[in-house]
Amino acid sequence: MDVDRERQVMEITWEGGSRSSYTAEQLRWACPCAECRGEAGMPGRLARLQTLSPAEMRIQDVTLVGQYALQIAFESGHATGIYTFSLLRHLVQ
Amino acid sequence: MSAPSSQQILDALGRIKDPDLGRDVVSLGMIKELDVSPQGKVSFTFELTTPACPVRDRFKSQAEDAVGEIPGVTGVEVRMTANVRPAFMRPKPSEILPGVKQTIAVASGKGGVGKSTVAVNLAAALRQSGASVGLLDADIYGPSVPVMTGSRTVPQQSNGRLLPIDAHGMKLMSFGHINPGSEPTIYRGPMVGKAIEAMMIQVDWGRLDYLVIDLPPGTGDASLTLAQAVPLTGVAIVCTPQDVATDIAVKALQMFRKLNVTPLGLIENMSWYVCPSCGHRHEIFSHGGAESAAKRLGVPFLGAIPLEEGIREDADTGTPVVISRPESAGAKAFVEIASQVAARTSIQSFRQLPVINVH
Repeated sequence: MDVDRERQVMEITWEGGSRSSYTAEQLRWACPCAECRGEAGMPGRLARLQTLSPAEMRIQDVTLVGQYALQIAFESGHATGIYTFSLLRHLVQ
Repeated sequence: MSAPSSQQILDALGRIKDPDLGRDVVSLGMIKELDVSPQGKVSFTFELTTPACPVRDRFKSQAEDAVGEIPGVTGVEVRMTANVRPAFMRPKPSEILPGVKQTIAVASGKGGVGKSTVAVNLAAALRQSGASVGLLDADIYGPSVPVMTGSRTVPQQSNGRLLPIDAHGMKLMSFGHINPGSEPTIYRGPMVGKAIEAMMIQVDWGRLDYLVIDLPPGTGDASLTLAQAVPLTGVAIVCTPQDVATDIAVKALQMFRKLNVTPLGLIENMSWYVCPSCGHRHEIFSHGGAESAAKRLGVPFLGAIPLEEGIREDADTGTPVVISRPESAGAKAFVEIASQVAARTSIQSFRQLPVINVH
């Protein structure tokens, strides 16, 4: 996992050797958290919004959750999204 | 005849393979302090990855034979030791539970199948093998560990952290220690997560080879918190043989798979009962359900434990059966399962955790 904060790009080298690359903007719009996605049939924030501020789309930090996911913190302070590795694989397919 | 070279000895020992790790014991770094005297006396230390190693005796005789066959060897002395290796290769030590090498969760999905009994005896059996062991009771609502270990005391504090309770040579912490007596803990889900986190962060666990974690039933808050907070070495799933229990055990196992936690295998509890008056073997809850579920799911079957009055009695009086009645069938089953679990966890020492580099 390589997070380049200058370019705002995250790169993953998977166990098999293949590589995936993500922009911070792409990751922000894919945030799987309940606030962004909606819950209990209610649409989430990302469904209502057309644009996000630049700070919303800049990665601050990335940490490992257990051994199944990444938690991505954005500069806006938004950090509730837990990106499972299977989600991250789907994003680039 | 001249004494053999060290290289000859290592070549011979290099033909011994670790059945679990699938590699030879020399390249795994298990052979240490090799010494060959001019008279041909060979001595070395054979360092296992767990003191509960199921093939300990086989390794010893294989090593003695392999070296003994080399021309020029006049004597072989093998010192068997063990050093539990930390789970996962990682760039920096974990911030949570930094002194703990391996974390083993015991889960079941369904309640009442004997999770806590298995967790307590698994921990006690690992302790008896010589490992340093802790036991964290993550069942906030129904903590059983204090009774089962005879440790109904309140933990002491030191430097703002709780000290685990010492019983039977193990370090223990349970919500039953923190909130003793008959007062219930009335918590909503998020509070359960916080309580479990606190028992990991605010308790001074120190250095441990194994921390066994007794999970509550269910596939929700407690299990999720745990799987998110620490990279668990693996999870052992307990069930009773009948369908209603194995079905739920399968759900628990699949949850941990989704969370990328390695299933160490299934354990069948209450597998059979030998009637003390007629000597007949009864299979009250059926038999073999866990083994066939394990086969179906492609995970190891770790063993079966009989239904014995002694296991229950000793749990109620606070001494794990592996300590109080080591000769009983139940105790022997627990010891065997513990060594299977230890062997499976050793494999995890060679796995790499994802490395995150933020710059």
